[in-house]
Amino acid sequence: MMGVANLTAANRAGCVRQTTTHGKIALFNLEAQIESLQQDARFGRGTVKSRAALADLITLRGLIVGRVAEYERAEKIVDQLVRDAASDPAASLAHARIHALFHRFVKALDDLDRAERLSLDAETVNGERAAIFQALGRYDEARAIREEAANRRPSFENIGALAGLCAERGDLDAAERLYEESLRLYRGVSPFPLALLDFQRGLMWMNNGVLEEARASFDTALCRVPAYAPAQGHLAEVEAELGDIETAIARLYPLAISSDDPDYAGQLARILEDFGLTDESRRWRQLAAARYDELVAAHPEAFADHAAEFWLAAGADPMKALGLARLNFEVRQTSRARDLLSQAIAAAGRPVYSGRAL
Amino acid sequence: MSDHISGPRAIADPVTDITDVYAFPSPENPGHLVLVMNVFPYAGASAVFSDAVIYRLRVRSASIAPDRRGFNIGADEFTFDCMFDVPDSLDSGMPPVQRGRCTTPSGEVVPFVVNDEKGGGGGGLHVFAGQRSDPFFLDGPMIEKTLMTKQLAFKRVGSDRLYGKNVLGIVLEIEWATLLKGGPMFAVVGETLTSGKRPIRLERVGRPEIKNVTLSAKMFDQVNRNLEIRELYNNEDAFNLGKTYADAYRARFNANLAFYDNLDGKTDWSYDEHGNHPLTELLLEDFLVVDMSKPFRETSYFEIEESVLKERVHATCGGRWLNEDIVDLILTLYINAGGGPRISDGVDAPIAWSAKSFPYMAPPNPPKVVAS
Repeated sequence: MMGVANLTAANRAGCVRQTTTHGKIALFNLEAQIESLQQDARFGRGTVKSRAALADLITLRGLIVGRVAEYERAEKIVDQLVRDAASDPAASLAHARIHALFHRFVKALDDLDRAERLSLDAETVNGERAAIFQALGRYDEARAIREEAANRRPSFENIGALAGLCAERGDLDAAERLYEESLRLYRGVSPFPLALLDFQRGLMWMNNGVLEEARASFDTALCRVPAYAPAQGHLAEVEAELGDIETAIARLYPLAISSDDPDYAGQLARILEDFGLTDESRRWRQLAAARYDELVAAHPEAFADHAAEFWLAAGADPMKALGLARLNFEVRQTSRARDLLSQAIAAAGRPVYSGRAL
Repeated sequence: MSDHISGPRAIADPVTDITDVYAFPSPENPGHLVLVMNVFPYAGASAVFSDAVIYRLRVRSASIAPDRRGFNIGADEFTFDCMFDVPDSLDSGMPPVQRGRCTTPSGEVVPFVVNDEKGGGGGGLHVFAGQRSDPFFLDGPMIEKTLMTKQLAFKRVGSDRLYGKNVLGIVLEIEWATLLKGGPMFAVVGETLTSGKRPIRLERVGRPEIKNVTLSAKMFDQVNRNLEIRELYNNEDAFNLGKTYADAYRARFNANLAFYDNLDGKTDWSYDEHGNHPLTELLLEDFLVVDMSKPFRETSYFEIEESVLKERVHATCGGRWLNEDIVDLILTLYINAGGGPRISDGVDAPIAWSAKSFPYMAPPNPPKVVAS
């Protein structure tokens, strides 16, 4: 495997090497696309495809700027779309994507089946299915689809998706090789797909404790799209782990203030507490706690894992964490969900969970 | 739609998606060739050009081939490359001010400010870039319905999906005798490319409705029924089509042109013994052909090509003017070879006509106009 210093340099060079539209322009133009499609939708001129595209673009904006409200807006658009065009496969596909976004995986799979019955092409349906299988921990099924797609059409998207699967399975060498290959195959100028790939790569390193490399990947993502909030958030997490507490706190403050995703406030509370700033930490902890309660009430499946992590750490309520970790494990039996549940059980003072049934 | 949303790559990033290319003698300045390239379909008010893209117009001298089966294209090429900066006011909350520059074939750089109607000028070039009303018009859903139902689906009064939509336009007015060599007939193609050390072609457009109306439908193609051919087609050099996929393009052209030909229940085109449609080879030469020895005319698209097919001398400047009803022309050409009644999609005008003075294209449509 490549050495840490080399990889960091290579990642940074990668951002320069690959010519992409400046992140600020790209965000402006994403706004411009949304604006125009929204106008059509508002005046009843939107087609099924354009309304589904609008939901996708709003979701992308939510993903970049880290705003849960954007996902909720996209959901409303799609809910209306399926009411208006129940027999259109594009509506079922959009519905599946929204269900998957909110971790309602069984419903998402049902919608994909429906889209397939309505003649949506197999490549699209299977690509979406693979992502859901992966999220559910059904790795063999996900791998079969991802490998077939990557062999049939070795594109940026297909190779990148396979890299993500390898990363989640802990096969870091294969994942790293595929990430590089995927980057080489990119032929566009939009920075978003590359930044999303860098982010996925950063998560892989972070989850495996390779923090310098995680930092390099998140840095690269931010070099491409400076406003990429989840990359900022995770970079701060890595910086704090590496002892660069002040940088991490400075990075998290604006996110904790501007985002409606409590992850940033929760992280900030945890780091401030570790840094000995207890009063300041309490303020952010309360804010995050209230917001997690709201989000878990509105979208239990989607926020159970992050909320459980929060209550295990800065939230300091292991019983609440246990309930949420249990819910998360019911939604998906991945190794991460199992680890989270084990941690919650341990924190709640119960025997460490070792089997499937609770 | 003309070349709007013409393939997965274009859909993924509209700032590289060329919607249309136009070429016509200036109506107000004799001796000037006007080239227009529009990008970013459905551009909202905040749309700006990418700083990572070369917006390129390529021009070569052209002549009708002696066997009258197409065109001879000159080896010398004249490129006009427009590039754009990152607006320095993106964080200010004010509308962004973007600057650009166009490099002429001689290497002269002409700077301009985006959306400034006066444009930039120098060395025989006048250039404008900015948001304008999309001049294209058509009833797209009814074209899709025609393909799905295999029957003409157009209504007497159609619905224009592009009504009130804006694009980012680039307009070049070129003193052609100074900046180009050869002529007076020229072949023109528009491209978007990545701006790195080794530019990669992202999109290319010559004639309208080649990728969408003509090539996109897969179901009639007995050779490549599942192939999204438009992405491959975009990669090709319009002046030097590669051999690898040429037969795949031919098969798709032949199949889809035959479908259109039979839509009125009769076969109007004469096919050769291999089933090749007479338009296939001509359309594979996918560039606009404009004759600068002829005066400006509002309806002249494909007249030079038709003259080639019919072995007669062309009478107009050819090329393509902004206001021409291209869809009716193409449908009539494809369906009855121009020998029957005009086939209309029921949409005969854009929201705003282009003007006959620089920068030609109508100003952008404000949202409230679209609402009404």
